[in-house]
Amino acid sequence: MSSSVLVCDDSNMARKQVLRSLPEALSLNAQLATNGAEALDILKSQKIDVLFLDLTMPVVDGLGVLQGIKDAGISVTVFVISADIQPEMQNKVLELGAKAFLRKPVQKEVLNQHLDKYGLL
Amino acid sequence: MSSLNLNEDQQDCLQEIINVAMGQASDQLARYLDTFVYLKVPNIEQVSAQSLSMTLNPDEQAVAVVSQGFFGFEGIRGEALLMYQPKDSDRLADLLGYEPEEQSVEEQIIDLSSILTTTFLNVFATQINNQMSYSAPRLLSSSKTTISEHIEQQAYNWDLALKVKISYQVTDYSFNCDMILLIPESAIINIKTVIDRILEEY
Repeated sequence: MSSSVLVCDDSNMARKQVLRSLPEALSLNAQLATNGAEALDILKSQKIDVLFLDLTMPVVDGLGVLQGIKDAGISVTVFVISADIQPEMQNKVLELGAKAFLRKPVQKEVLNQHLDKYGLL
Repeated sequence: MSSLNLNEDQQDCLQEIINVAMGQASDQLARYLDTFVYLKVPNIEQVSAQSLSMTLNPDEQAVAVVSQGFFGFEGIRGEALLMYQPKDSDRLADLLGYEPEEQSVEEQIIDLSSILTTTFLNVFATQINNQMSYSAPRLLSSSKTTISEHIEQQAYNWDLALKVKISYQVTDYSFNCDMILLIPESAIINIKTVIDRILEEY
């Protein structure tokens, strides 16, 4: 049984960048969210193993999603994928429970290394 | 009316390329000033030569403006304007803590502007498989007339341009500067071709 994946980004292109970096077994059934509120709804209604999360988004941003996951006690491995690469932001997302920070545009090898590291492939 | 109109996918792609460039420029600014920069969603719009002065709104208050031209392959070119309010240029001297004899405030503003412009545009160019060269950055005298004249002169070179406005906000010092990129219509047509190539890969 392969991991269930959720990709949350307001940009269509960025979502596609993640999808095409994933092994087919994961990308085929991956779910998509275009803002943080949508992502939280999905996370609360079904079991998701991996969340790829953007930070700068309308409605609820990435930090809001991380906080929401914490507050609701949801168990999911979160990888933040963002263009905001300032060290302070990277530390902030790790403190809020993200497993890793990946810079945009996301590289296929880097993404798969992280999935492998957490046994999610 | 114009060839500038980008469809939804092209707009999304351009926006994402700009976000990545903006993120790296902000990171440079954050390191330079040893602080955190708050990122806002960039504003992308089409401007006509006639309306340019109006949309830049330079007469609100005298500002310091640093101008730098950029040129890539395939006719991609444009002009970057870094605009500072007077209070922000004073702020900058405090932030950097330079001694007056080391470097003047004007030199610091030119330095910082050039770091932001070249970081942004180098990252932008890499993503569209291009490479930029730059003219020397110029500080326009902070009088209203000079800036308006410069902006009007810019607009002589084109009828329509894409205007990208990025606001860099340093939260803990309430320092702001705006980066405005003006990319003439002819260059945008080239960028559109490249964007379509990128989109085809998806």
